[in-house]
Amino acid sequence: MKNLDVSKIRETRKIYDESISATRSLERPIWLPTIIVGVLLVVPALQFFGGYNYLLHMLLYVMMYSAMASSWNILGGYTGYISLGHNVFFCIGGYFSGLILAYFRISTLITAPLAGVVVAILGFLVGLIAIKMRGPTFIISSIALLMVARILFDNWDFVDGSNGITLGQLDMTAQWIKLPYYYAFLVIAVVTIYTSYRIKHSKFGLHLRAISQDEVKAESAGINTWLYKSIAFAISAFFVGACGAVWGEYLTFLRPNIFIILLISVNMVLMCILGGKGTVAGPIIGAILIIAFNETSVAFLGTSEINILSTGLIMVVVIKFYPNGIVGTLARMKKLPRFLNWD
Amino acid sequence: MDNIIQIIILGLALGGVYALMASGLTLIFGVMRIVNLAHPIFIIVGAFISFWLFRSYGLDPILSIPITTIILFVIGLVLYKLLFKREAAEAKYSEMTVLLTFGVALCVDGFLGTLFSNTQRVTTPGYAIDAFIFDEIFIPKGQLYAGIASMIIIGALFLFLHYSRFGYAIRATTQNRAAAQLKGVNVDFVCLITFAIGLGLAGAAGALVSYIFSFFPAKHWDWIAILLSLVVLGGMGKMLGMIVAALVLSVIAAFVGAYFGASWSGITFYLALFLILLIRPEGLFGEKIEES
Repeated sequence: MKNLDVSKIRETRKIYDESISATRSLERPIWLPTIIVGVLLVVPALQFFGGYNYLLHMLLYVMMYSAMASSWNILGGYTGYISLGHNVFFCIGGYFSGLILAYFRISTLITAPLAGVVVAILGFLVGLIAIKMRGPTFIISSIALLMVARILFDNWDFVDGSNGITLGQLDMTAQWIKLPYYYAFLVIAVVTIYTSYRIKHSKFGLHLRAISQDEVKAESAGINTWLYKSIAFAISAFFVGACGAVWGEYLTFLRPNIFIILLISVNMVLMCILGGKGTVAGPIIGAILIIAFNETSVAFLGTSEINILSTGLIMVVVIKFYPNGIVGTLARMKKLPRFLNWD
Repeated sequence: MDNIIQIIILGLALGGVYALMASGLTLIFGVMRIVNLAHPIFIIVGAFISFWLFRSYGLDPILSIPITTIILFVIGLVLYKLLFKREAAEAKYSEMTVLLTFGVALCVDGFLGTLFSNTQRVTTPGYAIDAFIFDEIFIPKGQLYAGIASMIIIGALFLFLHYSRFGYAIRATTQNRAAAQLKGVNVDFVCLITFAIGLGLAGAAGALVSYIFSFFPAKHWDWIAILLSLVVLGGMGKMLGMIVAALVLSVIAAFVGAYFGASWSGITFYLALFLILLIRPEGLFGEKIEES
């Protein structure tokens, strides 16, 4: 009897696996994101024909929130840790780059990745501590983190506390001034969403999903849970921090109450859950829908209080009746259009 | 020395009110494991009702406690039937339930803001700005009355929970839901009534809050973490522990406020919450809750 040649079986299996993944990625509609990014790249050319600053602002805003919601999704969707304190990282990123801009005149467009790294390190450390908690406890502690950060920033004399600091404006005409930020957010959004996609389809993402399903079993299966959770925390903080950095300069103003308010993190969470928690396309769809809805409601109904009311209503309805979000629900019904299927 | 006694007195009076504000939250968490982030906004609803009664009919805020309690009790019944019936017991929903109550809080916040706008309001009964004065020490009448009223209400709640049949049922459900059900407790009904009582307590607290703090709809964000810190520190659903936590933390917060400035006093609660979740998630006075 001959020895079984295990290596050959392995080889065959590997080829088979690769052929499966190749056909699956061939099925994926690569044309869609390519077209979208292509269109977004040339949209600013509209400025040659007239004033489209509002359109640019809206696109920029959508891109920022897509990036932030996708980034939140890495921790909240894949890993299953729902954080309401993520805008602490948004704020720290904004202040880090903003202070560099104010004191050394280095644009945040350059320092944004650095802000991301700083925030990611911080996120890793916070992750190491906070991730010991699970479920509702984690949500509560993230709210506590938010409140602590708010008080610290409100009373920090170096950054002038709750008064905030003014940053300079770029020396450009109103026609073109949005452009650098527009492209910065485009880059951030593309990188974030691509990262989210790669994580979803990697072994790392598999580990995260295992953790979100059952942490004890995941750990007993040999997954180093605390390390993966902290890394997920760090990655998810990184992009939020980078967004905060550019957003601060875009607003030309830093103040705790434009960064650390619950409504921003609620928006991140809501976009993610509305679109579909733990899916790649979900947060983007959520961001587009929520922002479109907010804009129309502000345009027709005015006052921001109605906005809060409707945000709350959407949140209640979605969580109560469609906890899987749009993408998740459609996928369950097997009616998910091909171009949204990125999982 | 006088100064220190003064701070302790102010802290204790405020602590009594905080204990009442958090009592409903504790009750609901204990029985249903629902972290009701909408609790503080319902306190504001109670405060608004009290404010309206005071403005229109000159009704004293303390006397309006029964009215606010009953109105909020009814709101609680409706809300439970509408939203929380399914989530009431299942631990796997608890994460989503937190977000659900958060959505409810946003709804009510936006609703109140739309109707009444976010301006500061406060009821002004005569005692709100009066005080008993002994030599160097003064005791503000409003806070003293509020503290006493809170203690009476919490005492009544305590008697109800410990010396009535329905109270037994509630406590049995808190301790072990399945066993209570086996013994013939109508758990669904207990949950319904407990939720309503919890909101009723929020209404009672709202009446007192209406003259202690100036309130506006968005104010509840400040209270969420404060009240949660009391619930968590008190041992996740333990009423007595929560009251002790409220008194202790309020006194500490009063000291922090006195020595570092009023804007820092809130950080006592938030840091306590964060640290306690980290070091001893079952709370100072609680025993370990087994994970399901």
